[in-house]
Amino acid sequence: MDIYDVLLRDFPFLLKGLGVAIVLLVALLMIGFVLGLGICLVQLYGPRSRLVQWPLMLYERIFRGVPIIIMLFIFFYGISGVWDISAFGAAVLAMGLRSAAYQSQIFRSAFQSVPTGQMMAARAMGMSKIKAIRHIVFPQAGRHAIGPWTNEFSSQIKETSLAYVIGVVELTRQAHYIITSTQGNVLTVFAVVALLYFILNRAGNSLLYAFERKLAVPGFEK
Amino acid sequence: MNRIKASLLPAALMGTIAIGSGLATTAFAQDPYTVGVEASFPPWAYVEAGEFKGIAIDAMEAIAEEAGIEIEFQDMPFPSLIPALAAEKIDVLATGLTVTEERSENIDFTIPWWETNDVVLVPEDSDLNVFTAVCCGARVGVQGGSSQQAWMEENVVNSGDIDVELAKYDNYVTAVDDMAIGRISSVIVDDTSAQEYINAGKPVKMAGKIFIRAPLALAVSKGDPQEILGDLNQGILAIYESGEWGKIVEKYIPGVTVPAIPGHMPDFVDTYQKPVAGLPELGNE
Repeated sequence: MDIYDVLLRDFPFLLKGLGVAIVLLVALLMIGFVLGLGICLVQLYGPRSRLVQWPLMLYERIFRGVPIIIMLFIFFYGISGVWDISAFGAAVLAMGLRSAAYQSQIFRSAFQSVPTGQMMAARAMGMSKIKAIRHIVFPQAGRHAIGPWTNEFSSQIKETSLAYVIGVVELTRQAHYIITSTQGNVLTVFAVVALLYFILNRAGNSLLYAFERKLAVPGFEK
Repeated sequence: MNRIKASLLPAALMGTIAIGSGLATTAFAQDPYTVGVEASFPPWAYVEAGEFKGIAIDAMEAIAEEAGIEIEFQDMPFPSLIPALAAEKIDVLATGLTVTEERSENIDFTIPWWETNDVVLVPEDSDLNVFTAVCCGARVGVQGGSSQQAWMEENVVNSGDIDVELAKYDNYVTAVDDMAIGRISSVIVDDTSAQEYINAGKPVKMAGKIFIRAPLALAVSKGDPQEILGDLNQGILAIYESGEWGKIVEKYIPGVTVPAIPGHMPDFVDTYQKPVAGLPELGNE
């Protein structure tokens, strides 16, 4: 059986691995989105007390400053002393919390790109802070954030391939199976896998760019 | 922009909650034992057409049937397996695992079920022998965290007289391929795997053998918290005596001589002290 027959036979398993990678990606991006937006809002508009701001800053610095592979090991082996976490759960948590730290900074820059005068004007017109954020600042910041967010999306797709070190059988691990059971063919198999990652990346980014165009304010398109 | 908020945020929140509830693995007493394998390590364990195969896989299934226990396999890269066993993320480690003193401090071994010696693999057209291959500034490939790495470090690299650089790989197949490209000049690997590569038609040959008589065994977490060491020991001996072990090995490595079980049990392993769990008549005094 030559390698192309094996690849054809095992293609469903590569797709299954791609599926695991996609679920992991969506889960970690969602955690990152919700927490990241929350962190950003508290950092910009929350209480200025050190009791609130310092832990957030510490969180963001730590998760942006430690390699993801180390975070994966810490979450998988460290947490298991307290809670019997699955490999997939540990990967979602470690990568999601890390993505939150990155996304908080994407959102922070987007919010800060809205001139502060707008907030003051909204408050002067009698809007509450929350209303002003929701109706004045967020609609503009959200649009600014999509561009940098495509970056986060692209880099996280590729980082899902690291989850195999704690036993998540995603696309890269499925590729390892083919390589070792056929005793080689590293280039052929990884070329196919690279193509799969590339297609996923392009598809996701195209959707995000389409979303960006759809939301563009008439007269302000780039 | 209200549209984004209305459509994205609730979906994101719901997704997060749904994931949160799926994160934990709950442990019940009837749960099958989790057997950790490195599924890119033929002939011991590998995946073909989506199914686990290999000596360790088939033998583990036979042992489980013998002992009347349920098992499920969990694949992990080799360097993660022993930490996972030590942290009790898996219950049994079944792969071509060499018994070493260091490892026996962190995990408990079953009786040995195989014995290997290491060989020096070189490219087919190479004229190096076992001495010239491992000297004089050579880059030698090993699997990271393997007993070959430990042996090379202890006996060759740290001895100081021999100038050798170790290249550590995630698995041996990559190491052998890297040797074909010429990035390393030889690979130190156990004789079972080496025979496998030669049978598969890789352009390699054995330059020579290093007789270390290393026993291979299954392993459980230190202190045997699941109390399955006795079952495993009895199971290994039972499938050996029934001839099933011989058939499994013959299926994956045709023509190999099967070492007797129980084989050489090193003194430094505390679970090899008499009485051995499940087999009280065996063991070192």
